[in-house]
Amino acid sequence: MKILIVEDETGLRESIEEYFTGEGNICETAKNYTKALSKINLYRYDCILLDINLPDGNGIELLKKLKDNNHSDGVLIISARNSLDDRLDGLNLGADDYLVKPFHLSELKARVTAIIRRKSFNGSNILVLNEITIDLLAKEVKVANTAVKFTRKEYALLLYFIANKGKVVSKNAIAEHLWGDGIDMANNFDFIYSHIKNIRKKLIEVGCADYIQAAYGMGYKFIEE
Amino acid sequence: MKLLTRYNQVNIISTTVIFIITGFIYYQTISWILTNQKDKSLTVEEDEIFEYVHLNNKLPQIFQSEDQQITFTEVKNDSVKRQFIDTEYLKKWDNNNFHKHHHKHKNHYEKEPGRELITYVKIGDKLYKIQIIESKVETEDLIRIIFVITFVVTLLLILVLLLTNRLILGRIWKPFYNIVNQIKQFSLAEPKEVQQPETDIEEFSELGTAVTLMATKAKNDYTNLKTFTENASHELLTPIAVINSKLDTLLQTENFNAVQSKILNDLYSAVSRLNKLNNSLLLLVKIENHLLNKSQRINLKALLEETESQFEEIIADKRLALNLDLHEKEIVANHYLIEILLNNLFTNAIRHNYKGGKIQISLTAESLIIKNTGINEPLDENIFVRFNKSANSEGSGLGLTISRQICENFKFTLNYRFENGYHCFMVNF
Repeated sequence: MKILIVEDETGLRESIEEYFTGEGNICETAKNYTKALSKINLYRYDCILLDINLPDGNGIELLKKLKDNNHSDGVLIISARNSLDDRLDGLNLGADDYLVKPFHLSELKARVTAIIRRKSFNGSNILVLNEITIDLLAKEVKVANTAVKFTRKEYALLLYFIANKGKVVSKNAIAEHLWGDGIDMANNFDFIYSHIKNIRKKLIEVGCADYIQAAYGMGYKFIEE
Repeated sequence: MKLLTRYNQVNIISTTVIFIITGFIYYQTISWILTNQKDKSLTVEEDEIFEYVHLNNKLPQIFQSEDQQITFTEVKNDSVKRQFIDTEYLKKWDNNNFHKHHHKHKNHYEKEPGRELITYVKIGDKLYKIQIIESKVETEDLIRIIFVITFVVTLLLILVLLLTNRLILGRIWKPFYNIVNQIKQFSLAEPKEVQQPETDIEEFSELGTAVTLMATKAKNDYTNLKTFTENASHELLTPIAVINSKLDTLLQTENFNAVQSKILNDLYSAVSRLNKLNNSLLLLVKIENHLLNKSQRINLKALLEETESQFEEIIADKRLALNLDLHEKEIVANHYLIEILLNNLFTNAIRHNYKGGKIQISLTAESLIIKNTGINEPLDENIFVRFNKSANSEGSGLGLTISRQICENFKFTLNYRFENGYHCFMVNF
C-alpha cells in the first residue's frame, strides 16, 4: 500500500514512516501544506495521514481539495485538538477516521489498515492470514474451517495484532486500544495477559500455529511464519 | 445592622436630644419672661400700697380678689427683706364658684402655684410686712400648652422622618442592593455580565461602574489563564506524541535485556500518565468553559450497563462482587461527559478496592449511588480538590474534580459518604 504522511513535526513524521515502511508498504512524506498539495495533485495514495495544524495551512483544506476532485484516497486525520467539532467537521468532510495526538504507532497502523481494508476489499470483507480466516462483517474467526468463539475484546485484540503483525505492540497500546483513553486502567496489565493467554489457547486448540509471542515483558508480537 | 437603620437611629436620637434641650430652654425662657411679668405686676401693686401709705399714713383696706391676696403683718424692726418668692396661692371659692367646681367640695380652698412679693412699709414707728401673692395658674397653663405643642410637633417630626427614610431612602438604596446581589451571584466561570444599575445618584453609578469594570477585568484575567492552560496543554501534546512514537519505534529494535525492558516499561508508564494528566487538564478547561454543552437524552440505565461491560474483565480479574440495582432513568446531558463521569466513578470503585471486595451500584429516579469496599476508614474531605490523591493511587488526581465539575455542569450534585465500611459516591439529579 502507498501511504502519504502529512506531518510537520519531524520526530513524529520519521517514526510513522519507519513504522509503516516495509512489508510492501511505500511511504511518502510531506512536512507542510504546499508540499502535501503538490503531492496529492500528482499521485494517488491508499491512505493519507493528515495533520490538521500545518505551518502554512490547514489540513482540512487539503481534505476539501481531495473531495472536490473526487479522489478516493483514504484520509485519517491526526490532530492535537481533541474537540468534538473538529472531529465532526473532519468526518463530515469525508475523512475516514480521526486520531488524537498522542497515539501509539500500533493504534495508527490498526486504523490505517482498517481504512485500506474497507477501501480495497470492496464488498468482500474476508481477511485471510495463513490458516486463519476472519469475516469482518460477521466478526467470525475460522481456523481451517473450524469456527473459533472469541469474546468481543479477544476478537478486537486479534485484529489489532494482525494489523501490526511483525511489530512489538506495547501493553499500554493494547490497554488503550481495548479500553479507550476514557478508562484510566492502563497500568493494570494482568487482564491483558489473561486475554492473550485465552486467544493463544483457543487458536492452538483448533490446530492453529502459535503466532503471538511475548516480547521482553513489554508487549507482544504477532509473527507470521 | 443596615446603614438605613443606623442612620435612622442616629437621626432619631439626635433629633430627640435636640428637641429636649430646645424644649427645656424654651420652657425656662418663657417661664422667666412670665415670672418677670408677674413680678412687675406685683411691683405695681406694691407701688400703689406705698402711695396710699404715703398719702394717708395708714394701711389700705384689704379687699379680696380672685387672683390676688394681700396681707399686712406687724413685725419687729429689720426682720424683713424685700424679695420675690415662689409660693402657693390658696384660692378661696365663693359659693358660685363652689357650685361650679363642686368636685372641690371638701375644701373651700384650692392650692395653686403663686408668686409672692414680700416687702415692708413703715407707718410711724411700726413696721409692717406686706405679702402680695398672685396666682400663677394662667402662666403654668400657658407653659403646659406650649410644652404639649412642642412635644406633639417633635413626635410628628420623628414620625415623618422615619417614614421618609423608610420610603425614600429604601428607594434610593435600591441600586446599591442591586449591585450587591449581582456581586453575590457573580461567577468567574459563568458568562453572565454584571449589569450597571439604573440610577441618577452619582455614588451608586460610580460604584456600578467600578464593579462592572472589576468583573470584566477578573473575567478577562480568568479567561487568559484558562486560555494559557489550554494552550500549554495543547503544546504539550506534540512532544508527548513524539516521545510516544519514538518509544514505539525503539520497541521494534531487537534484543533488550531485562534492565532495558524495565526502563522502557517505566518510560511507557510515565508517558501514559503524563498524557492522561494533560488530557484531564484539557477536559477540565473545556468543561469549565462550557464547551461541551451539546445535550441529548440519555438512558442512564443502558449507559451504566454498557460501562459495566467495559469493565467486566477488570472486575473479574480482581474477583469483585458487583451488585447492580438499576431502575429506568433518563437524563438530558452531554453523552461524552456522562460517559467520562461513569468511567471515573467505576474506575475509582475498582481501583481503590481490594481483591474479592464488593461494589454496589443503585440507580433510582433521584440518584445514582456507587458504593465500594476499600480501606476501612473515611476518605479525606479534600477528595474533590485538584491533585488530591491517595499516596498509592496511580490516577491523575483530577478524576473526582472532573466528575464534580461534570455534575455541576448539569446541575447535579456529587457527594461522598463513608457508611458501614462502604465508600459511597452519590450523584443526585
